[in-house]
Amino acid sequence: MLDSLLSFGGLVLLRDSVEWEGRSLLKALVKKSALWLVYHDFFRDPLNWSKTEEALPGGPLGALRAICKRTDPGPITIALDSLSWLLLHLPCTTLCQALHAVSHQDSCPGDSFPVGKVSVLGLLHEELHGPGPVGALSSLAQTEVTLGGTKGQASAHILCRRPRQRPTDQTQWFSIFPDFSLDLQEGPSVESQPYSDPHIPPVDPTTHLTFNLHLSKKEREAKDSLILPFQFSSEKQQALLRPRPGQATSHIFYEPDAYDDLDQEDPDDDLDI
Amino acid sequence: MAAVATCGSGAGTTGSAVATASKSNVTSFQRRGPRASGTNDSGPRLVSIAGTRPSVRNGQLLVSTGLPALDQLLGGGLAIGTVLLIEEDKYNIYSPLLFKCFLAEGIVNGHTLLVASAKEDPANILQELPAPLLDDNSKKEFDEDVYNHKTPESNIKMKIAWRYQLLPKMEIGPVSSRFGHYYDASKRIPQELIEASNWHGFFLPEKISSTLKVEPCSLTPGYIKLLQFIQNIIYEERFDGSNPQKKQRNVLRIGIQNLGSPLWGDDICCAENGSNSHSLTKFLYVLRGLLRTSLSACIITMPTHLIQNKAIIARITNLSDTVIGLESFIGSERETNPLYKDYHGLIHIRQIPRLNNLICDESDVKDLAFKLKRKLFTIEVDFIS
Repeated sequence: MLDSLLSFGGLVLLRDSVEWEGRSLLKALVKKSALWLVYHDFFRDPLNWSKTEEALPGGPLGALRAICKRTDPGPITIALDSLSWLLLHLPCTTLCQALHAVSHQDSCPGDSFPVGKVSVLGLLHEELHGPGPVGALSSLAQTEVTLGGTKGQASAHILCRRPRQRPTDQTQWFSIFPDFSLDLQEGPSVESQPYSDPHIPPVDPTTHLTFNLHLSKKEREAKDSLILPFQFSSEKQQALLRPRPGQATSHIFYEPDAYDDLDQEDPDDDLDI
Repeated sequence: MAAVATCGSGAGTTGSAVATASKSNVTSFQRRGPRASGTNDSGPRLVSIAGTRPSVRNGQLLVSTGLPALDQLLGGGLAIGTVLLIEEDKYNIYSPLLFKCFLAEGIVNGHTLLVASAKEDPANILQELPAPLLDDNSKKEFDEDVYNHKTPESNIKMKIAWRYQLLPKMEIGPVSSRFGHYYDASKRIPQELIEASNWHGFFLPEKISSTLKVEPCSLTPGYIKLLQFIQNIIYEERFDGSNPQKKQRNVLRIGIQNLGSPLWGDDICCAENGSNSHSLTKFLYVLRGLLRTSLSACIITMPTHLIQNKAIIARITNLSDTVIGLESFIGSERETNPLYKDYHGLIHIRQIPRLNNLICDESDVKDLAFKLKRKLFTIEVDFIS
């Protein structure tokens, strides 16, 4: 599933940490999906003071919005090397709005071409931010990949949220070759679970009582075969239970006996006239 | 002692009572005096608008929330002029369903809709509304659902209480009621119903240009625009009663999705002490003022699990009228707990308003769980916990 992450579109959030870095996975995914690569470097010269590159107004956010107005109909993947860097320079709400606008363009205003699917792949160093921005970005993300691992083996926990469906999650072990190609692997050798309780027998509360609550087999049989009073035979039960045609609710059967007087004016029969 | 025998063999008076009951579809009790719903020649103090009914407790005009089970828990329905706040569940799966049922109820009753969202285009939201279960085939749906629910347990034979064996396990309620309809979550609402309805949409990215500078103001610009939009609609379509001689009055149903999320430009989900942390509370205050002076009801879904400052959640709860929290079991340890295996999540009723009243209409049960069956969303009392 790791290799088909970008096929769903939307925002894919890669959360890494100091122990398990995600930049190599980002590059591997870019390499897998990219046919035509355009590279914008905003780190070295964010305000374009040296005027070497073509002036993209508005900095990185302006570049994102410019991609929004493209006319190329093919699917496109935008990889953001670090959303953390953007979060430190821009207000979180602006970034969320821009990412949402870019990743959801079914119909871009002003375009007459049907636009292909846009995937935005963003790398977020979750230890740099508080729970607020991380929570906000992960609620926007279509897919969230959290990197972890044990004992030198990296794993990616993938949580995929499809709209209106239950989120599915999956853990995939992988490693990255030096040429940034992705190698999917099975998990490490399964060891004994670190948290296996010693088997505690379930406590039976009826053991240490001064009276006997257990039934022996003969007593149980006698109990089951006991005919209760007012219990009809099973044929009569079924006949009574069978629902009458046209009535689904329960009904009460009543046969008025000799002392009953169905007088609506005086149902309790206590008026003295 | 006398009892009503519905098999028709009783006296003539009982038969006619049953006949009139089935004709009026309300109850088998006849109310003396003026009828409270439906008639056009009732006194001037009773308003007769389609899809509303007065509360049995204090006469407050109520609309249905789209889920009859939820209506019962809220004391009959949602009062006109109030806000229903739904705290979203963590992955936002079930709260959109409640939101859409509210809007679908508006379409079925012919109310005017106002849908506001920063995430999805309102036209797309309306396309995804659930289809109403209408009278003739809804009974079949219920029987099918009840039967499916019953089959695993029908082989438990009761020895003493055997007469109750075939009774359905839960209260389904009157099938053909004009207040509160049932919806089929797996089907879409027919297109002609949407086209016949009157709706207004507010999609934030279209209304706000991206290069707008954020001026230092107490409310974020998105909220200001939304409040102006709502006020315009109320004024133009006369929901505030400014021209009472006009045609039949109608109710405006407002639905605001994901309020407070960063897509609205509000940073309470991102930071604990943001620059405009009072923006949302002011918005709710102004919104409540607009609602109280017009014939409208509002549903808001809010991702409160993302809000960092817990004091803000308490303020938001106080500023809304009815607050319901959804907690789904997905991803939590309760998902594998065998006690909760029949349910998909819990519903918490956090607040019910006291409108013109000293006490509120609280239901006695507090442990409520919901499940989204194949088609229906049901709320049941969770007897386990």
